[in-house]
Amino acid sequence: MLDALAAQASLEAVLKDEILRMYQEVADDPDAEFHFFHGRAAAELFGYDPEWLDRAPAGAVASFAGVGNPHLRAGIREGDTVLDLGSGAGLDAIVASWGAGPSGRVIGVDLNPAMCLKAQAHAAATGAEMECHQGAMESLPLPDGGADVVISNGVINLSFRKRRVVEEMFRVLKPGGRVSITDIVSGKQLSQSIVNDPKLWAS
Amino acid sequence: MFRLFEESGFTRVRSAVVPGFRFRRPSTQDSAEAYGVKAVMMTAVKPE
Repeated sequence: MLDALAAQASLEAVLKDEILRMYQEVADDPDAEFHFFHGRAAAELFGYDPEWLDRAPAGAVASFAGVGNPHLRAGIREGDTVLDLGSGAGLDAIVASWGAGPSGRVIGVDLNPAMCLKAQAHAAATGAEMECHQGAMESLPLPDGGADVVISNGVINLSFRKRRVVEEMFRVLKPGGRVSITDIVSGKQLSQSIVNDPKLWAS
Repeated sequence: MFRLFEESGFTRVRSAVVPGFRFRRPSTQDSAEAYGVKAVMMTAVKPE
């Protein structure tokens, strides 16, 4: 049992490094080719308003690596506190800030502190305020019951402990708060060879 | 994932497939289809 736990912890550490590496690469070299579509083409495919993409900083759009459009059902209102789980280069947080307005608050959480800085810079370039916390989605660095809305785009699937992530979203939401996420799910149990392959897991 | 939300206390859990999602590389897309991999949109509410 201890061996199994140690093996999982070791695999999680390797995966964490691979996830950090891959998404840093998307941010640093958005013209490169990845397993997934990204950038403006992906955002348009998922129905992001072209006006949003024109208005957002080019770097935030180019590094977009989502798998759908969580804004379609998020229903963000003026004054809302919005948490973007896995905020990356910041496009979703910036779009959320336009909905929440100056009386609202947008908080990003990302595993990568460099991405937090990048997202905050992108948000500032649009005149939006976004605070970003470096942290893990399994242990959110946020108090209980502070968020009206949690959004996330293609991030939860990267976690080995998805139940814990969902419990954390529940914890940080206010009563009556809502979640709008887009993510990847599998209809079948993935083979151990896929689970053990950091590159496949991170993609 | 749907079940995780319900078991964690969320209500009004809804999901729908994201139309148009696919992987860029055909080999990855083929593997994804073999495992029933798809992108979904999910919404849920924390009870009052």
